[in-house]
Amino acid sequence: MTDATAEGGATPQRSSLLELDERTRKRNAAEQRFKLYGIGAIAVGVLALLFLLITILINGVSAFQQTFVTVEIELLEERLDPEGNRNLDEMRKVTTFGYNPLLEAAVAAKIEALGLETELTGGALRALLSGGSASQMRDAVLADPALVGQTVEFRFLASSRVDGYMKGRVTAETVERDRNFTPAHLELAVAMVERGTIEKRFNMAFITGADASDNRPEQAGIGVSMIGSFFMMLVVLGLSLPIGVAASIYLEEFAPKNRFTDLIEVNISNLAAVPSIVFGILGLAIFIQFAHLPQSAPLVGGLVLTLMTLPTIIISTRASLKSVPPSIRAAALGLGASKMQAVFHHVLPLAMPGILTGTIIGLAQALGETAPLLLIGMVGFIASNYPDGVASGFLDPNSGMPAQIFEWAKRADPAFYERAWGGIIILLAFMLTMNILAIILRRRFERRW
Amino acid sequence: MNNMRAIDRSNTTHDIKISSKDVRVSYAGTEAIKGVDVDILDKAVTAFIGPSGCGKSTFLRCLNRMNDTIDICQVTGEIKLDGVDIYAKSIDPVQLRAKVGMVFQKPNPFPKSIYDNIAYGPRIHGLTKNRAELDEAVERSLRKAAIWNEVKDRLDAPGTGLSGGQQQRLCIARAIATSPEVLLMDEPCSALDPIATAQVEELIDELRQSYSVVIVTHSMQQAARVSQKTAFFHLGEVLEYDDTQKIFTNPDNEKTQEYITGRFG
Repeated sequence: MTDATAEGGATPQRSSLLELDERTRKRNAAEQRFKLYGIGAIAVGVLALLFLLITILINGVSAFQQTFVTVEIELLEERLDPEGNRNLDEMRKVTTFGYNPLLEAAVAAKIEALGLETELTGGALRALLSGGSASQMRDAVLADPALVGQTVEFRFLASSRVDGYMKGRVTAETVERDRNFTPAHLELAVAMVERGTIEKRFNMAFITGADASDNRPEQAGIGVSMIGSFFMMLVVLGLSLPIGVAASIYLEEFAPKNRFTDLIEVNISNLAAVPSIVFGILGLAIFIQFAHLPQSAPLVGGLVLTLMTLPTIIISTRASLKSVPPSIRAAALGLGASKMQAVFHHVLPLAMPGILTGTIIGLAQALGETAPLLLIGMVGFIASNYPDGVASGFLDPNSGMPAQIFEWAKRADPAFYERAWGGIIILLAFMLTMNILAIILRRRFERRW
Repeated sequence: MNNMRAIDRSNTTHDIKISSKDVRVSYAGTEAIKGVDVDILDKAVTAFIGPSGCGKSTFLRCLNRMNDTIDICQVTGEIKLDGVDIYAKSIDPVQLRAKVGMVFQKPNPFPKSIYDNIAYGPRIHGLTKNRAELDEAVERSLRKAAIWNEVKDRLDAPGTGLSGGQQQRLCIARAIATSPEVLLMDEPCSALDPIATAQVEELIDELRQSYSVVIVTHSMQQAARVSQKTAFFHLGEVLEYDDTQKIFTNPDNEKTQEYITGRFG
C-alpha cells in the first residue's frame, strides 16, 4: 500500500467529459470500422446465397414441367393381338417396333385432323414424340388387354427438342444443325402448340421416375436415385449414430487420458478434414475389392458415407457431452450412481439435443456427398430400375441423388443440364428439411439447468 | 445456547465413525494433503476450517472417494469407515458413496422434477419396493430437509426452478434419501444468502441426530454455530483438531489463534 503511493508519481490529469480525447476517438473509430467490416462480410455472404438460390431456381424450375403431346390411337387388333384371344403371352411377342406403325398413323391422322400440312411422313413423324412413346403404349395395352381394338387417347412426352423449343432452349438456328429434328418438325410443332395438342404440364415423373438413356432426356427422373439415397442414409444412420455416440461417450467419460487416447483424439479431428474422395477409394479397397460386396450397391455407399460421417458425429457428440456441467456428474456420483448410470441417466439426456443436431448435420452432409460414390461405381450407368424390396434396395446397383445430378450434368444434351439443376432443387429441399428437423429436435429436447 | 450444546455433547455417544491415518493426496506429484489424522465422530458435526487451498475440500472428497474421478489424483494412507479400509481393493466406490452422501458447494439439482431428484437415489439402489414406498421415502427426505412444506404442492415442478436456498435443501434431501450414514458437505452455504444459510444450518443441527456430518466451511461463525468438533487445516496439514468450543475460545496452536481472529486467511 505504501509502495503504491510512493511510486504513483503521475497525478491524474483533469479532462472534460464533454469532449472526447484522442484515445477515445481512435477507439470509437476502430469500433465503427470493425462493425462496417462485419456488415460488409455478412452482405457478401447474403448476396452470394441469393445469387445461388436465384440461379438454381431460374435454371431448375423448368425441369419440373414437361411438354406433352395428346394423340388418339386406334389399337388395331390385327397388329397387337393377331390371334384375337387376348392371351398375354402371345401379346408380349409384339415388341415396341410393332406399335410404331400405329403411332405414326395416329400422329399423321392427328395432323390431318388439325388441318395442318407437312412433308414429313412415317418414321420421321415420331421425332416429335419421346422415344419411349411406343413402350408407353405397349405397357398400357399389356396392363389392360381390353383396350385392344379401341381408340384410346394417349398423352405422350414430347421429344426433348419440342420440349426445348417450349422452354426456349431450341430455336430455328439450332435446329438447322440438328440431324433428327428438321425445321419442318419445328414448324409442325409450333402449329400444334397453337392448336393446343402440344402443351406444357407439371411432370411428376421427374420426381418419382427413373433415369433414362442419353437420347431420351425427357424421360429422366430422380426417383430411383432418391431411393438409393434413402437406403444409403438408412445405413449411415443405423451405423454412424450408435458407433459414433458409443465412441464419444467412451472417449469423453471413460477413457484414461494418456498418449494413446490423445493420439486417437487428434486423428479423429484429422479424419474430419480428410477429402471425401479418399474415403471413396478406401471403400473401394475394403468393401468391394476385399470384402467382395456388390459394386454400385447403396449398402456399400452407405458404409463409405458412414466412415465419412463418423468424425462429424463424434466431434459434435463429444462437444455436447463436454458442455454438460460437471456438477451434474458429481451429483449423480455423490449419490452412489455408477459412472455408467451417471452418464446414461443424466449426462446423455442433457447432451441429446447436441447429439441429434450433429447427427442430422452429418447425415445432410452425407446425403450431398458425391465424390465417394464415383469411386464405388454409383455413377455412369442408368439407374432405371426400382428396387424390388428391402434387400434389393440395399444390394442392387443404384445411384444417389448427388451422383445422379453429376451424371446428368456431364451428359452432352442440354436437356440433361436442365434436369441437373432441377435435381439440385430437390436435393436442397431435402437438406433444408433435414436442417429444419434438426432445429425442431433441438428446441424440443433442450432443457435448462 | 452454548450451555445447551454442552449438555447435548455430553449426552451423545462419541463412537468413532471414520478414522484416518497419515492420509496424503497428491495431484500429479504436488502434494495437496501431507499426512492428515482425523477421527470423525458418529452423530456429531465436524467442521473443517482453514484458508483457501489448504486441502479441506480435498480431504473431504477422500472420505467418499470422489477424488477417484480425477485421473491425476493419488491418495495414500488409511481411511476407515466403521473399521473397514475404504481404499481397500475389494471396496467398490459406488457402494461406498451410497453410505457416505455428499452435498456440494453449488446447489446442483438434476434438471428433472423435484420428485425425481429425490427418488433417483432410492431408485438406483433399489431401496423401495413399490411406488407407495417411494412416495413415502421422498416425503420423509423432504421433511427431514425441512423443505416439504414449500414443495409438497409442486413435486412435479423442475428442481432447477427453486430458489438457491431451496435448491440446496433439495440437494440435502436428495443425499438423505439414499439413507447414508455419513453426510459430507462442501461449503454448502457459500452460494446462499443469510436467511437460506440460517435454514441450512438449522437443518445441519437436526441432521446430527441421525448422521455423522462433516462440513467444510469458510465461515468461522458457521463452524462455531453448527459443529461439535473442528479441524483447522493449513497448507495441507491439520494443525489442530479439538472440540469446537476449545478451538474458538482457547486454541493451542498460534496459527489457529491467528486464523480465527482474522489476522490471516
